[in-house]
Amino acid sequence: MQHFIRIAVCLLPLVLAACGGGSSDSNTTTSAPTATPTSAPSAATASAPLSLSAQVGHKLFFDATLSGSGKMSCATCHDPNFAYAAPNNLAVQLGGTDMLQPGTRAVPSLRYKEFTPAYADLLDNPDGVSVPGPGGGFTWDGRSPTLADQSSIPLLSANEMANASPADVVAKVKAAAYAPLFLQAFGSDAFNDTTKAFANIQAALQAYQMEDQSFHPFSSKFDLYVANKIGGNMTAAELRGLTVFTDANSGNCASCHYQGAGLNGSSALFTDFSYETISVPRNMDIPANQNAAYYDMGVCGPARTDHLPASPGAANSFCGLFKAPTLRNVSLRGAFFHNGVIHSLYQLVHFYNTRDTNPEIWYPTVGGTPKATPDASFPTYGLITTQYTGGTVQKFNDLPAAYVGNIDPQMPLDSRAPGATPPMTEAQMSDLICFLNTLTDGYQAPANPPAHGTCVD
Amino acid sequence: MANLQYVGFTTSLTAIAAACMLAGCGGGDSGTSTSAPNSQVKISGVVNSTAYTPGSTGNPTLAAGYFKGATVCVDSNNDGICESSENPVTTDANGKFTLTASALGPIIADISTSATNTANGSAVTAHEILRASLAQVTEQQTAGLVVVSPMSSEVQRMVEDNSTDYQTEKGNLASRVGVTSAQVLGDLTALTGTAQSLALAEANALNNRYVYATKKFDNKELYPDALAVPGGDPELASLAVSTATNTQKTDPRQPITFLQAQQAAFNVEGIPRYDSVFIVMLENKGTTTILGSQYAPKINGYLQANNQFTSYYATSNPSEPNYTALGGADDWGITDDSQWNCDATGANAVQDLPVPDNTQPGLANSPFTTTCTQAAGINHNIVGRANLFTALSSKGLRWRTYSESMNPGQDFRTDSIADTAVTAADHVYPPGTLGNNTTAIGNSTLTLPMPAGLYKTKHHPGMAYQNVRSAPEWKFSNRTLGGGQWDAALVSGSKYTVPTGYNVDQFSTDLQSGDVGQINFLMPDQCDDMHSITVTGTLSGGGTATASDCASGNNIITRGDNYVDYLVKKIQASPLWANRQKRVAIVLMFDEGTATTGHNACCGWVPGSSGAAASTNTNPLVKGSNGQFAQDTSIHNYNFGNHGHGESIFAVITNQAGAPKQVSDSDAYSHFSFVRTLQDMFQLADPTDDSTYMNRSKYTEKFIAQNILNLPEYQSSADTHFDAVRPMNHAYVIPKTYTQIQSSDTQTLTPQVGPDTTQKGVWAVK
Repeated sequence: MQHFIRIAVCLLPLVLAACGGGSSDSNTTTSAPTATPTSAPSAATASAPLSLSAQVGHKLFFDATLSGSGKMSCATCHDPNFAYAAPNNLAVQLGGTDMLQPGTRAVPSLRYKEFTPAYADLLDNPDGVSVPGPGGGFTWDGRSPTLADQSSIPLLSANEMANASPADVVAKVKAAAYAPLFLQAFGSDAFNDTTKAFANIQAALQAYQMEDQSFHPFSSKFDLYVANKIGGNMTAAELRGLTVFTDANSGNCASCHYQGAGLNGSSALFTDFSYETISVPRNMDIPANQNAAYYDMGVCGPARTDHLPASPGAANSFCGLFKAPTLRNVSLRGAFFHNGVIHSLYQLVHFYNTRDTNPEIWYPTVGGTPKATPDASFPTYGLITTQYTGGTVQKFNDLPAAYVGNIDPQMPLDSRAPGATPPMTEAQMSDLICFLNTLTDGYQAPANPPAHGTCVD
Repeated sequence: MANLQYVGFTTSLTAIAAACMLAGCGGGDSGTSTSAPNSQVKISGVVNSTAYTPGSTGNPTLAAGYFKGATVCVDSNNDGICESSENPVTTDANGKFTLTASALGPIIADISTSATNTANGSAVTAHEILRASLAQVTEQQTAGLVVVSPMSSEVQRMVEDNSTDYQTEKGNLASRVGVTSAQVLGDLTALTGTAQSLALAEANALNNRYVYATKKFDNKELYPDALAVPGGDPELASLAVSTATNTQKTDPRQPITFLQAQQAAFNVEGIPRYDSVFIVMLENKGTTTILGSQYAPKINGYLQANNQFTSYYATSNPSEPNYTALGGADDWGITDDSQWNCDATGANAVQDLPVPDNTQPGLANSPFTTTCTQAAGINHNIVGRANLFTALSSKGLRWRTYSESMNPGQDFRTDSIADTAVTAADHVYPPGTLGNNTTAIGNSTLTLPMPAGLYKTKHHPGMAYQNVRSAPEWKFSNRTLGGGQWDAALVSGSKYTVPTGYNVDQFSTDLQSGDVGQINFLMPDQCDDMHSITVTGTLSGGGTATASDCASGNNIITRGDNYVDYLVKKIQASPLWANRQKRVAIVLMFDEGTATTGHNACCGWVPGSSGAAASTNTNPLVKGSNGQFAQDTSIHNYNFGNHGHGESIFAVITNQAGAPKQVSDSDAYSHFSFVRTLQDMFQLADPTDDSTYMNRSKYTEKFIAQNILNLPEYQSSADTHFDAVRPMNHAYVIPKTYTQIQSSDTQTLTPQVGPDTTQKGVWAVK
């Protein structure tokens, strides 16, 4: 990097000086100082100002009075300091009028949602190669077509912001300090029609998320790397990790967490908006899962209702499908997958690697005899740290048996036999985590980068 | 400044000429003409002109005439200037001149803006110097008609370029044009019929070049062009660019001489003039999908036997923005394949009168949707922007697009549609013909009706541009390309009225007649271009099945490979190709790769992450009336376009026997670089004026450095060379320690460190 001169605004005098110096070319029309800006230089780097609607959205987003408890805003669960995801490692958050009501799914990040298309059973895959399939939409099951529409779910759910009704929300906005801004944005009669007013509240929240740069900063080390910017040199470990990420024969993460050029000019979103059934372990930390008859099956319900099985257990290819989330800022998360059953990147990567080769460390065993001391070779990174003799592993225990056939066979979850060699080595997984760490926004290149280390060598 | 210099030059010439004439008159009175020494010779002749009149609905309208008021002299010192000592005279209303000189010598005609072009009756718009060699003067003066024309200049330029002689190059030029040796340097106005149209087409092209040569000479431009300097651009030495890749520390260039300018005008930025280039467009395959693939043996054969660019980048995703960029070096924020009228409102409103919807006569089955509004609101109709098509036409040059498998009678502005009346048999690949298959692939009992979308407007590089669709030559220049699976049955088309005498393969006809364009885009259908569509047919025994080789996968690669081979062989078998005095090139390229990792863009755009895409004002720069470049903020969604889509193979095959072969140029290029290269190849721009390069093809390293404040997407670039556009001329020498940057489309290949084995140009002709 020391070979490169930073081209930046501060070098304008140098650029101009070079132009003014010109060459010996007598045709001075070609050596005119064209660098003289004719528009404000600040335009080059400043964020576009938020529209009025988005300014309203900004106020709404952080307004805790917009909840039944008076204590919960959008930002409570979608914390800007955690890439607009949960600021803790709870599988599900608490809400409701008493702030004690548990949710049923982990909080997704609100970053990089601006390119998400509405859900379709046969969405064209942004990679331009994969066959169309279920994709798009908001929430883990895609049941909301737009960010605006999605906002009504947390606003009105009894275990989230727990407003009694849209009118309840509108009334609170009408009483808020920013009500004049709302009227400025949507007209002096904007509170007269409750339905319209609520729709405008939703639109304002969407506008804020669409317009404010903090929802799509693209400021990770990976962004510097792909954009060929100073400071974007990946380490050897990170580059190896990128290879694991994309290699169809090892990590194959890119197959769903697509990082290439995508829809509408998007690039490197680390999701293809698609849905897969991978049947992560049932998370008994979610109170709803105490009910043995309850299964959260994503696209086929029960939260989503337009793809329900005709009868319980009836064939339905949508059962078990959850959306592939963006992996940007993944290392800021404290709870992974729709049910938050995994709590670290290390564990997550190992789950992908050994779900099939070592299911006994991810799913409960019934009928076995626990060993007092596990064998030395028994992995310690799983959800289950007790080794059993005999018994049956309840693999795919969060999916009714009728839908096990829906499970996606792609690498690295290719259903290889228990005891087989896993797809990735420990070294590959270490590199992969190093790479995933480059997806965290707000990267500042260190002044003195370490010469050695796990993610360097 | 150029104009000022030029005015000064002609003023002084005029003054000199007037002084000479006065002196001559004074001398004449003394009666010395009767006692003129025997060594005095008279040289009589004409100065030929051509004129191009825009607006033709066919080939460009060109006329022959003369230059009235041109200054003519024997340029005994070959400096391209009529000095007073060279006793210049002025052509009369019929372009005639008579020189008296002490001896025969080479003649120049200095045609200033005070001269008149009788071919159109207008004042000359740009200074031009033409010449005729001593050999020509010697040959023609005995008959009393020395013709000074772009042709005469060209013969002498070729003599100097090739170190040959007058007779050889006169014959060569005659061969190039397709007229006799006697005709080629004769009075253009005396020719008729085909001979005149052939001669005028060439004379017009040459005239453009010699005007440009004169401009270079008048402006005392540094020679060679900056981006043709071996090693790298010498103008960068003092600019804030990546020092690791800025290899030229001093500027070795000197002001151009007259003779250098003559040659330089035919080698703009180191890209030699070609007569015609055929660009075969293939679809969506990254480099390593093709390179070395057993499914593409023929393309690999062409790559190995000919020349190639090994780091060629797409600029966008998906197809339509890439084709739009190939047409005019920008995608204008188009990021999908939608119809060309989508969200075209306000200043972008569609001007096609009428649009080709199903209310139009004969278009009852048109699939065109009259209105198109999308959520993203991105304009798809590019109004008033520069592009290769209108650039060629504006100079009296020609373009063609050849598209395969259109419905006979359809409008070019609509996608082709399914037609069950048009059927074809499934392709069957015997063992050993498709990736070393051991059993036959395909089903001879499968009959395939013509599917929809074999021809797609998204795959037309001019379609997005309003001024191309509205060009008078639009219908004339869009033509059919044969070799398709359904060709034999197309005349049975039932969806539109099949035109009388419909030619399903105008391309073959044109190759025979030579009536092709300078730039010819060849668009195979979506099966032959490797794109893939669903083609379902019926089995003779009942039931349905899909075509053997039009689904995505390896089979379609072989299909495309075979089609490419068919096209190359067809071109190579043509009289056009056989005429080695015409320079003809074939390009085999893909619209885009598949890069999903790392650097999927280069050369004119840094992918707009790092916040640029989302929130900063990345807009194209245009030259304002004050001469300064400023952002054009009128384009919606511009931040999200031009993001690149990896690397693909790019082969160049030429008909030039003496051209270097097996040259690999590994410098990074893109569609923007290719457009710049084509502008240079056909002299459609001036390297000393950035604004003459269309849209993003002007984004050279120097331009970016000079305009960095208005180009936020380039700020903090780690490698300004990689990020900038340059002509594909192999002049830049990669530093010894530089490791090639790769997209995932080439990441199974070892990145190259250091320069290429040769710096010969891929387009070089000798």
